[in-house]
Amino acid sequence: MSARWLLFFLPGLAVTQAQHGSIAGLPFSTPQDVAEGQQSFKSQCAACHGLDASGGSVAPSLVSGTFKHGGSDDALFAVITKGVPGTAMSAFPLGGKETWQIIAFLRSMNISKAAGKAPGDAAKGARVYAANNCGRCHTNGTGSGGFFGPDLSTIGSHRLLDQIESSIVDPNAEVTPDYWSVTAQTKAGQTVTGMRMNEDMDSIQIRERNGHLRTLMKAELNKFEIVRTSPMPSFKGKLSATELQDLVAYLASLREPAATEGAAK
Amino acid sequence: MKYAAVVLLTAASMQAQVTFDRLAAAPSEPQNWLTYNGNVQSNHFSGLDQIKPENVANLDLKWVSQVQSLEKFEATPLVIDGVMYVTEPPNTAVALDARTGRPYWRYERPVPDATFVCCGNVNRGLAILGDSIFMGTLDGYLVALDASTGRVKWETKVVDYTQGYSLTVAPLVVKDKVVIGPAGGERGISGFLAAYDVKTGKEVWRFHTIPQPGEPGHQSWGGDSWKTGGGSIWVTGSYDPAANLIYWGIGNPGPDWNPTVRPGDNLYTDSVVALDAESGKLKWHYQFTPHDEWDFDSVQVPVLADITWRGKPTKAMLWGNRNGFFYVLDRTTGQFLMGKPFMKVTWASGLDDAGKPVKVPGKSPSIAGTDVYPGVQGGTNWYAPSFSPRTGLFYLTTWEDYHTTYFTWDQKYEAGKSYTGGSARSPIPSLRREPFIKWGPEWGYGVVRALNPATGEKVWDYKMMDVSDAGILTTASDVLFSGNREGYFFALDAKTGKELWKRYLGMQVANSPITYTVDGAQYVSVAAGHAIFTFGLPRSK
Repeated sequence: MSARWLLFFLPGLAVTQAQHGSIAGLPFSTPQDVAEGQQSFKSQCAACHGLDASGGSVAPSLVSGTFKHGGSDDALFAVITKGVPGTAMSAFPLGGKETWQIIAFLRSMNISKAAGKAPGDAAKGARVYAANNCGRCHTNGTGSGGFFGPDLSTIGSHRLLDQIESSIVDPNAEVTPDYWSVTAQTKAGQTVTGMRMNEDMDSIQIRERNGHLRTLMKAELNKFEIVRTSPMPSFKGKLSATELQDLVAYLASLREPAATEGAAK
Repeated sequence: MKYAAVVLLTAASMQAQVTFDRLAAAPSEPQNWLTYNGNVQSNHFSGLDQIKPENVANLDLKWVSQVQSLEKFEATPLVIDGVMYVTEPPNTAVALDARTGRPYWRYERPVPDATFVCCGNVNRGLAILGDSIFMGTLDGYLVALDASTGRVKWETKVVDYTQGYSLTVAPLVVKDKVVIGPAGGERGISGFLAAYDVKTGKEVWRFHTIPQPGEPGHQSWGGDSWKTGGGSIWVTGSYDPAANLIYWGIGNPGPDWNPTVRPGDNLYTDSVVALDAESGKLKWHYQFTPHDEWDFDSVQVPVLADITWRGKPTKAMLWGNRNGFFYVLDRTTGQFLMGKPFMKVTWASGLDDAGKPVKVPGKSPSIAGTDVYPGVQGGTNWYAPSFSPRTGLFYLTTWEDYHTTYFTWDQKYEAGKSYTGGSARSPIPSLRREPFIKWGPEWGYGVVRALNPATGEKVWDYKMMDVSDAGILTTASDVLFSGNREGYFFALDAKTGKELWKRYLGMQVANSPITYTVDGAQYVSVAAGHAIFTFGLPRSK
């Protein structure tokens, strides 16, 4: 099991978040409905999406508030009852009440609800973000910033507070494959590096530091190596405890639009 | 009118009837691909040799047929006398000109509001006999279509789809019967194989893959667990004309990952059964994974091969199983001859003399999760392996260094609903359609592997980046064709595994390639993504 999954196994998450959730627009949304929805989810959905809805080998995570096929209540209802063509998501012939209870449970699992509990000051955190030039490599939803590092525009909907903090003080703690890079040497002796965007039997697709997209043919390389460490410097010791807390609060406040989290109906 | 009648008669006589003798002797007409697996012995080997190692690099794209659906394409076509018959997902059969790809007819069966499949609205193909095409449907019907019009001749309700059943398998014709059974191993079904009269659609016999009270094997299920025991059918079996036996691989027990509620060996799940073709009576069975805890369906294609075993000519059955072991059985008696892991296996330390796995303690699914090799999609799975009588090698697609974390929990059975009793998480997606491969080889990768059936030892490997759901075709010129999830379709030297040719088709290959000739020219067809691609050599000027 990888660290990425372990991070999602947080006992009691559902109950805690349900208290903060805003799911009043749903036809079945009482704590009892959420509890029954959790039971239905366990029996009908967890085989693929995992017991905590964080995703499995067949199916995506459902805790970010971002849903591939539409995040409105109606869209979720349609996906559950009609399925998604071309995927393993078949139609689930559940009754209306049971389906709405599952949606209520999913809303309660929304990871971004954790942002409400961030102890820091988000407004001050925005200044920490600017002062430390985070925007040189990251975008934060304001239309500016660099493309080298992960897009942070909705990071608060995708990562827990602990995960956000860990990424700042120990960037190598968890580097998802999306941010692995490649160092290669061509047969002509040239060294090439870039973010690893894709790979197959014959080729590697990279994005060089200057944004140039390039395909390396393996047959034309002397050697290549997948680099699994993060190019981001650690900010451990560079930020005060308060600055760190504020920065985490700021990042946690960068979230998906409320509509896709089910806060509005 | 008299003139018209003569023309019609002439046209009709040109479409030769596909008799069962032709199906049973399929290797004698390699220009056609007459059954799901090419012949009733399921070798996935073709006697054609026009495309050979020396010229395969010249292959040209001849035609593409786009599917009118976004569902996953898992079907293998039939080709008879220049016409290709194939299913398109979810519930459609089409007849195409095999030389140009132009369609003759299309039978589109409406899909109900909700279907009860585990892993997508798929269909794996068709069977033919006489002038009838046979198709199983997601709504539980076996349908006989007229081969020249696509019109329904008869349809028989095989199962009630609202109870978790579906038909996704390509039927198998044996003499005057068409044999099929239901999928639904993740929905607590009670599986069976049934034979229907090809003329009327009337049921002739039924074999319960979960023995009912009073039937032998019933005692292998504790309590009432047999009622929801699974034993699904979703990949086509084989037939041995000399023994008059039908061989079929049976799916997993239900619930998949909570084995504590079904004490016992759980026959005939994860088994191969040999049935008398006339009566459906069980002649013998062999269970690969007794009391399965990891979803190791034994739905793989039973490959019938006449080989030399320990110096003696032997009617063998070769089987690369989802559980990670390669088996050789005597197909006349069901006797276990050999079993060896063909990849990393951690749930069993080996097989005893009778071929029963020696389970490793501590590998059961758990609340915290248990890591087991192979993972839930198996060391190999449903896509066709191949046996070449020329090289004497058995070829299969394997998932290397691939594991799953298995979880278990209690679950109440509710009719029609998902009934798995746990979950399975793997680093590599079980099913996928996106063209990105971000992980490294340590999470698992695919291999086309050649095994020596006499020893179970590897002869060569063709290593890929991603895993593969593509089957394998070998030919009389020792060319091997296969594909993968990366979107490649490729040709290898069947003797050495050397890559001879490769094309990127842009999306995953999740079916098994076939080959045929029309007007003396050899073609090779495979589906990738949502289209069928057909290649051939450049035509001489």
